[in-house]
Amino acid sequence: MAKILPEVFYNEMKKLEPRYPQRKALILPALHEAQKVYGWLPSDVMDEVAEFIGVHPAQIREVASFYTMYNLKPVGKVHLKICTNVACCLRGADELMDYAEKKLGIKKGETTPDGLFTLSEEECLGACTTAPAMMANDEYVENLDLQKFNDFLERAKK
Amino acid sequence: MPKCTIDGKEIEFSAGENLVKVAKKGGIEIPVFCYHPGLSVVAQCRMCLVEIEKMPKLQTACSTPAADGMIVRTQADSAVKARAATMEFLLLNHPLDCPICDKAGECDLQDNSFGHGSPSMRSTEERRTYVDVDMGPVIQKNMNRCIHCTRCIRFGEEVAGIHEMVAVKRGNNLDITTIDGKQLKTEYAGNYSDICPTGSLTLKDFRFQKRAWMLKKTDTVCEGCSKGCNMEIQQEGNKVYRCVPRENLEINRYWMCDEGRFNYHYTQDPLRITRLKGSAFSPTPHWDEVGMAFKKLANGATVQILIGTDLTLEEMQAIIDFAKTQLPEAKLFHFGTPGVRRTTEDGPLDQILKMKSKTANLNGAELLGLSPLETEIVKAESVVVFRGGRAALPKIDSKNIIGVGVFKESEASGFNMILPSLAFTEKNGTIVNHQGKSQLLKRAVLPVGQCKPLPEILMLVLNAKKREGAGT
Repeated sequence: MAKILPEVFYNEMKKLEPRYPQRKALILPALHEAQKVYGWLPSDVMDEVAEFIGVHPAQIREVASFYTMYNLKPVGKVHLKICTNVACCLRGADELMDYAEKKLGIKKGETTPDGLFTLSEEECLGACTTAPAMMANDEYVENLDLQKFNDFLERAKK
Repeated sequence: MPKCTIDGKEIEFSAGENLVKVAKKGGIEIPVFCYHPGLSVVAQCRMCLVEIEKMPKLQTACSTPAADGMIVRTQADSAVKARAATMEFLLLNHPLDCPICDKAGECDLQDNSFGHGSPSMRSTEERRTYVDVDMGPVIQKNMNRCIHCTRCIRFGEEVAGIHEMVAVKRGNNLDITTIDGKQLKTEYAGNYSDICPTGSLTLKDFRFQKRAWMLKKTDTVCEGCSKGCNMEIQQEGNKVYRCVPRENLEINRYWMCDEGRFNYHYTQDPLRITRLKGSAFSPTPHWDEVGMAFKKLANGATVQILIGTDLTLEEMQAIIDFAKTQLPEAKLFHFGTPGVRRTTEDGPLDQILKMKSKTANLNGAELLGLSPLETEIVKAESVVVFRGGRAALPKIDSKNIIGVGVFKESEASGFNMILPSLAFTEKNGTIVNHQGKSQLLKRAVLPVGQCKPLPEILMLVLNAKKREGAGT
């Protein structure tokens, strides 16, 4: 099988390998690293990760689909993940979700036609003290209200 | 031997046996879904929870090895309650479509729900639904019925040697599917349906054909190869609907291959010759006339008798005896699989069950002292072919060919006469597998058309010959 993951991935893996005496434990960081390269995890990339780790491709599928932070479909430039778990829900996450759907013109799990935003629902982000919270790519946006969400979108568009 | 007590019954066990197995020995059934004796233990369905004295919590019987002096109560209040709760949980998303489900009647979920669940349901929530992937020609999937026992995944990984089923996503959204939605590749896919405790994986071949409880079952042996897997023929109204493997730890364990499972179809093929088939001298023959055909053979001509290794020992012996007295100059050979003429050339075809010899009784033919057909093309003035239906016919270059046994129209085009005999589903007999184990074929259905047992055909030939001899 021809290698498709770039050198960067393998260099990073070389650094991480000693930290994981159990090689299977390396699956999670490897998938994160691969996702950094492509923004999502195409099927053949998962196959290559499986070969690198030395497990069956099926196991990689199971892991990648178990965790919501791995994207199995291509995502937009900004991936908005709105937490709808208990604390956020009590602080108005549902209204925020409805608003976001209307504002972006898409349903959760979809990407805007211009490829800029992907909206998804996330379970607890661990930001209960600053609920409702949202993750935009790797960045936390906290204490959200509709105005703040709007401002964020405007900024992101620029 | 160590002993433990289950429900007040003292049961002996050997070290390492789990409680489900031990309880079964004592006639106590502990309900299970994810546990299968042929697969690894994962203890994830929680159906087999039992109370064990001196243990603070309920334990899963499938993953708990029995210990000397252990006192187990399967009917303790806490265990009964826990199992009812598990049942309720498993049924949260299960559709109530038993009336149109093929598994109904032999369904673990149905049985255990009846035995351990509650007749009513508290949940009013909507059930999750799935769009199913096409799993190929053998298996029909219905994910809505799945209870996530993962038996199919473990079967693929541990037995079939191909990790093709995967569990993707999690929790309520878990989906059992194939990698990237590909079709199943394994040649043992039928087992997925056998081990599925619900109607989630059913056989396309059996789908909507018959209700499970109407089928009559006959224990027999597969004639697909020299392995001799134990199986059960299930029929109703003299029609075979399916074959399923039987447990035999020394031969096939709990499994069988698709080739053997669907092999029975040829016995019900509309193209199978089930009536006496004409010859040049008698276009509409009668059993009384078959003697004439054989008489013609005996008239000094060089005769070759070919014996398929798909016949039973009894049949082979009858042919040998018949030939000795009636056609003493004839040469006898056995045939079966091209390239596998002797048991020494036979061997495993894969790591699982399949053998190279595609007929069941190659070993038996050797035991009776028959020698193999060495040539690719049979050249003789007259040839008599005895065949059970599965042995691969060699090319025959002869003006006078008589076929006795199971043939299809296309296979017997050059034959002068065909005397229809019985297929493996229709006869009793002994076959010897590659290990040298003798096993019994049992009659599951009655012969169709004019088919007669082989010894009877030989007898008819004898009688006809005698009659004609007396007449002239």
